[in-house]
Amino acid sequence: MISRVADACFWLGRYLERAESTARVLQVTRNLSLDAALTPRQCWQPVVVVEGEEARFAARFGPEMEDGEVVQRYLTWDEENLSSIVRSIGAARENARSIREVVSLETWEVLNELHLWMGRGDAPARYGDDRDGFYRHVRRACQLAMGLLQGTMLHDDPYHFIVLGTMLERAGQTARLLDVHHHALTQLATHQVVETAVFLALLRACSGFEPFMKRGRGPATTLAVASFLVLDRDFPRSIRFSISGALGRLERVRPVSAIGSPGAESLERLRALDAWMSAQRPAALEAGSIHALLTRVVDESAAICDAIGRELLGQPTPTLEQHQAQ
Amino acid sequence: MAAPTTLFREYRPLPGVHDETVGPDGSLRPEFQRCMSALGACQPAEFARHQGFAELALLNQGVTFSVYSDQRGTEKIFPFCLVPRVISARDWARVERGLRQRVLALEAFLDDVYGEQRALREKPLLRELVLGGKAFLPKLRGVLPPGGVRIHVSGIDLVRDPSGTFRVLEDNLRTPSGVSYVLENRLLSKRVLPEVLDLARAHGIDAYPERLAATLRSVSPEDPDASSVVVLTPGPYNSAYFEHSFLARTMGLELVQAADLFVKDDRVYARTTRGPRRVHVVYRRTDEAFLDPEVFRPDSLLGVRGLMRAYAAGNVALANAPGNGVADDKAVYPFVPELIRFYLDEEPVLEQVPTFLCARPADCDHVLGHLAEMVVKVVDEAGGYGMLVGPQASAAEREEFGRRVAAEPRRYIAQPLVELSTCPTWDASTQRLVPRRVDLRPYVLNSRAGPWVLPGGLTRVALVKGSYVVNSSQGGGSKDTWIQKEQV
Repeated sequence: MISRVADACFWLGRYLERAESTARVLQVTRNLSLDAALTPRQCWQPVVVVEGEEARFAARFGPEMEDGEVVQRYLTWDEENLSSIVRSIGAARENARSIREVVSLETWEVLNELHLWMGRGDAPARYGDDRDGFYRHVRRACQLAMGLLQGTMLHDDPYHFIVLGTMLERAGQTARLLDVHHHALTQLATHQVVETAVFLALLRACSGFEPFMKRGRGPATTLAVASFLVLDRDFPRSIRFSISGALGRLERVRPVSAIGSPGAESLERLRALDAWMSAQRPAALEAGSIHALLTRVVDESAAICDAIGRELLGQPTPTLEQHQAQ
Repeated sequence: MAAPTTLFREYRPLPGVHDETVGPDGSLRPEFQRCMSALGACQPAEFARHQGFAELALLNQGVTFSVYSDQRGTEKIFPFCLVPRVISARDWARVERGLRQRVLALEAFLDDVYGEQRALREKPLLRELVLGGKAFLPKLRGVLPPGGVRIHVSGIDLVRDPSGTFRVLEDNLRTPSGVSYVLENRLLSKRVLPEVLDLARAHGIDAYPERLAATLRSVSPEDPDASSVVVLTPGPYNSAYFEHSFLARTMGLELVQAADLFVKDDRVYARTTRGPRRVHVVYRRTDEAFLDPEVFRPDSLLGVRGLMRAYAAGNVALANAPGNGVADDKAVYPFVPELIRFYLDEEPVLEQVPTFLCARPADCDHVLGHLAEMVVKVVDEAGGYGMLVGPQASAAEREEFGRRVAAEPRRYIAQPLVELSTCPTWDASTQRLVPRRVDLRPYVLNSRAGPWVLPGGLTRVALVKGSYVVNSSQGGGSKDTWIQKEQV
C-alpha cells in the first residue's frame, strides 16, 4: 500500500487508542479521588506524568494541585496540549479524513460525529453536568470506532497498520501507567488499604479489573497486579499481549520471508522485544527491577515506532509531522 | 388537473420563466403529477424535519467542501434542497443524444488541434484563439493518448430557457467535479423520501463509480485487468477532497498525492510499503498547471516530476488528458456547433446560448453598447468568478467592466442573460417552497467503447432570491436530479 496511507493508518490507530485511554484514566482517577484517602496531588500527579505532560503542566499551572479540575481540563480540552482528548480525537479524525477511501464509511462516521460533538456545545455541557457520562461517551465512541474497524474493514494491510499503531501505543500506555503508579506508591509508604485501592484503580484504568479477578490471583498486591499487566498472555492490554499483537501485524505487512524489502530493522527489533518479554518471569517485577523493565518497554516501543516510520511509512509530510505527537 | 396539495398550494412560478415542476397555470406538470403530489402532501413542518435530517446526515458523513478563502480548511456542507428536480424521459432522450454528439465532436476537435489542425486551417479566427490561448500545450502536438481517449469525464453545463429548451452553457473537459454530490444526494432521497422516489420511476445512478473505473481501465497502456489505476488528489485541503476520496473509495482504487508517485525511465511508480509499484492509469483531479513541474509551473510542489514525459512515451494514461483546456475554453464555445458539423457532418442536437466573441470587433462594439442586457464572462476564469451580470449590476459597475472589456477584448465573451428555469426550492426562513433558478450538469464518460451519459446529474440552484449564479462558491446549493424512465 501507499506509504503515506500506511502512515495515516498507523497514526489513526495510535490516536484512537490514546483518546480512549486518556478518557479511561481520567474517569478512573476521578472515581479514585472520591473515595481513597489520598491528597489531590497523590491522585492526579501520576496522571499528568503518564501523559508525559509533567513539565509543561507545572510550567503553566504551578506545582499546586488543589483538586483534579485543572488536570482534567488540561488533559481533556486544552488545545495546546497535544495529548488532550480533544486534540487526540481531532488528530484521529484528521488522519482518517486524509485516508477516507481506506477507512470504512461506518468508522469514518463515528469518528466524524465524535469530533463534531466535541466541537459543539453538547460536549462541554455534558462535561459540566455529568463528568462520568462525558468520559463514557468518549470511550464508547472510540470503542465503537475500533469495533467497526475490526468488523467492517478488509483485514489487509491498512487494517494491520491501524492495529500495529494501536498495539504499540497501548504497550507504551500500560507500561507508563504501571511505572508511574509503582513509583508513586513507593514514595508514599502508605497503608496496605490505600495500596490496594490504588492498584484496583490501576486495574480499572487498564480495563483490567474483571479480567484480573478471573485469573484468581487473590488480593491486588503490587506484584500480582504488575504480573498481570505485564505478563498475562491473554489480557488485551497487558504489555506482553500488546507487543505480541503488534508483532503479529508487522509480520503480516512485512513477512519475515520478504528479505530485501523495507522494514527489516523494525521487524528485527520488534521480534527481539517480543522474545525478551516472553522470557520475563514475575521475579523481574520486584520493586528493585520493575522500573528498568518498564523503561525498556517504553524506550524500545518508541524506537520501534521510529523505525517503522522511517522504513515503512515514508517521510511524513511537514503538516502531518506537526500534528503527530509522539 | 389535480389541485396542488399542501406544499405547493401557495407556490407560483415566476412570470416568463420555465418552471421545472409546475406549469404556467400553477398546476403540477402532468409527467410529475404522481410523485410531486406525494411530496406535496407533506405538511411544511414535516418537510422541515426531513430537510433538517438530510442536512445533519451530510454533516455527520463529512460530505463537505473546504472553503478556499479559509486557510484553516473549514469544512462546509454544500447546501442541499430536498425537493428533487425531475426530468421527463422525452426531454432526457434528446439531452442524452446531444451530449454524446457533443463529446464526440470535441474529442475530434482535440485530436485535430494536437494533430493535423485541419479545422484551424479553415477558420482563421479559431486558429488565432486556440494557438494564442494559454490552454494550448504545443509540446503535446503529435502525442496520442493511450486508448485514444482525451475526454474521459466531462461535465457539460446546461440551462433551460423560457420555452423549456435545454441549452449548453459551457463545457467542462478538464477536471469536472460534483458527481459525488449527485450520488450522495440520491442516498439522502432514498433515506428521506423513499415513497416519492419510488413513484417518480427514476433511473438509478449508483453504477457511476463502476462505469468510471471501467472507463479508466479501458485506456490503460497495458492489459486492463493487470493495470494499476490510481486517483490523484492535491490532498485533504483541496475544496473537492471529499469527492476525490469518495470516488477512490467507491471505485476501490487507491487515492494518491503527488508525493506518493515518482517517475523512473518514463514509467510511473507509487511509493508503497513494499517498495515501488508501477502505475498505469492516473485519474488526476489536480489542475494541469500542477501536474508536472518539469513542464508546467516549476514552483509547484504538488506535481510529479517527469509525468508528462511518461505520458508522451505512452506509458501512462492520464484522465482527463492534459491540453483539453483548448476545447472548453469560453472563446472556443461559440464555434462548437460549427465543429459538430465539421467533424461529424451532423446538425447539433443541443442548442447553445447565443454568444458574442469580443475578439470580433463587431461583436465587441455590440457588447459594449448593450452591457445592461448581457452576461459578460472572462474566458479563462471558472466558478462564477470575474463575471458581470449586466441587468443586475449598477451603472458604475457596468462602466468599470466595460473599460476592462475595451482594453482586452480577447479575454471576454458575452451572452444575453438567459432567464434560467426555476425549481420549487425549500426556504427555511418562511417554511415554504419558492422558485429558484437552476442549471444542470450531466456527466459523460468516454471510453474506448464510446460515450456513456449518467442518467442523472448535478442540479445546482441559486438559493438567493433573484440570483442567476448557481456556483457553490457563490451561494449555490444542489438538488437531487431524477431522470424518469420511459413509460412501458
